Amino acid sequence: MTTFDSMPACCIAPPDLLEAVAGQGTPEEREAALRTLTASETSRAQRASVTGALSRLTLTIADVAPAPGMVRTVYDAENGGDFDLPGKKRRGEGDPPFGDAAVDEAYDGAGATYDFYRTVFGRDSIDGRGLEIVSSVHYGNDYDNAAWIGFQMIYGDGSGQIFTKGSLTKAVDIVAHELTHGITQFTAHLVYSKQSGALNESFSDVFGSLVKQYGLGQSAEQADWLIGEGILGSALRGTALRSLKAPGTAWSTPTGGRDRQPAHMRDYLDLPDDGNPSNDHGGVHLNSGIPNHAFYLAATAIGGNAWERAGRIWYVTLTERLRPRSDFRQAAEATVRVAGELFGVDGDEQRKVRAAWQQVGVL
Amino acid sequence: MKVSIVRGGGIAGLVTTTTVDSASLASQEVAELRSRVERAGLSDAPERSGASGGQPDRFDYELTVEDGGQAHTVRVCESDLPGPLRALISYVTSLPGRQERVGPPG
Repeated sequence: MTTFDSMPACCIAPPDLLEAVAGQGTPEEREAALRTLTASETSRAQRASVTGALSRLTLTIADVAPAPGMVRTVYDAENGGDFDLPGKKRRGEGDPPFGDAAVDEAYDGAGATYDFYRTVFGRDSIDGRGLEIVSSVHYGNDYDNAAWIGFQMIYGDGSGQIFTKGSLTKAVDIVAHELTHGITQFTAHLVYSKQSGALNESFSDVFGSLVKQYGLGQSAEQADWLIGEGILGSALRGTALRSLKAPGTAWSTPTGGRDRQPAHMRDYLDLPDDGNPSNDHGGVHLNSGIPNHAFYLAATAIGGNAWERAGRIWYVTLTERLRPRSDFRQAAEATVRVAGELFGVDGDEQRKVRAAWQQVGVL
Repeated sequence: MKVSIVRGGGIAGLVTTTTVDSASLASQEVAELRSRVERAGLSDAPERSGASGGQPDRFDYELTVEDGGQAHTVRVCESDLPGPLRALISYVTSLPGRQERVGPPG
């Protein structure tokens, strides 16, 4: 698996050295040096030094500041697999619509997700440092899935069985769910197994739903709290893939299969993570129902727009507090602490977050 | 000959089980199936066991071929699928005579 370590810009290199590299290095070295010169401005003295260095290069900080805004590129995988990625380039940032619904929806979905994280949490893309968001559509044949594969998005066309054809790029909560897996990769890096894996899934459902709510301007009260609403194919009956409001009620099959997500720890499904595809890495898509429901309970109890307070508590927890092997209890305790730090110890938010985890049996 | 494919994972987290029995296939389909099974080289493929790790929301496969009283099973993540195995899976999952069941994990 590809992993990226989020290396902060180093503050040790002296501005003189950076200036020399910026003036004489290769284009890549020059850019890196210029970025470091601006990124390391942590004090007035450093700022003066940087500004001085830049003025000798006849540049200002504005010229070399990290590009504000997003960079999206969408490719056509032309029904190929992993070895054919990314495929043929169809649309770059700022290009007009290409005219293929999958291409343009993937572009718009990445934009909606970027805007949400940037505007609400001040996060610059998946890695927090302006990572280009690459998407490849028309992956595989009738591929019933979308995924963040460590460095880019892939989208299938859907077979009509699990997902209706063409729906995977249409549903912004699906797009945001997957891109949030990328954010988790660059932050908490939750291991995809058992409870840490279920947390990984849950954070993707939570922020998938929040991106949709933000786009629709819906309060916690107004939101449907569904993931993949209206895109189920012919093998499934029901409203959606998952419900944060009522886990375990989203779908059924004509042959008696049904959504088995628990909403409480007493119904936790302790499946083994044994490589058997039936066991879903230890039930990561099942037990995510428990933290999903905790978020729903906290957000609706707090009220207003879910992304403003409950969402911020969950975001800080994911990006600054959790470790790769964090379990439900550690995540719950972290959200309670963060709620106190952000909104006051023993305040309304902290009490409601704690109560939510108690209601699902984690605390 | 019987071939069954269990696919788990994906954003839906559902388990899809597809089975074909050569007894219920046309002779041309049986020949094609046998040829694809041979090319997939299942007996050479390493059998994976233990925790699967890997990337969120990708498909995981378990493929079992039963033939002449012998059974062989391989487990593989889609990102590691060799071409011939991918071709066998896509053939089996598109055969009109296949049996298919979708359900939750576990």
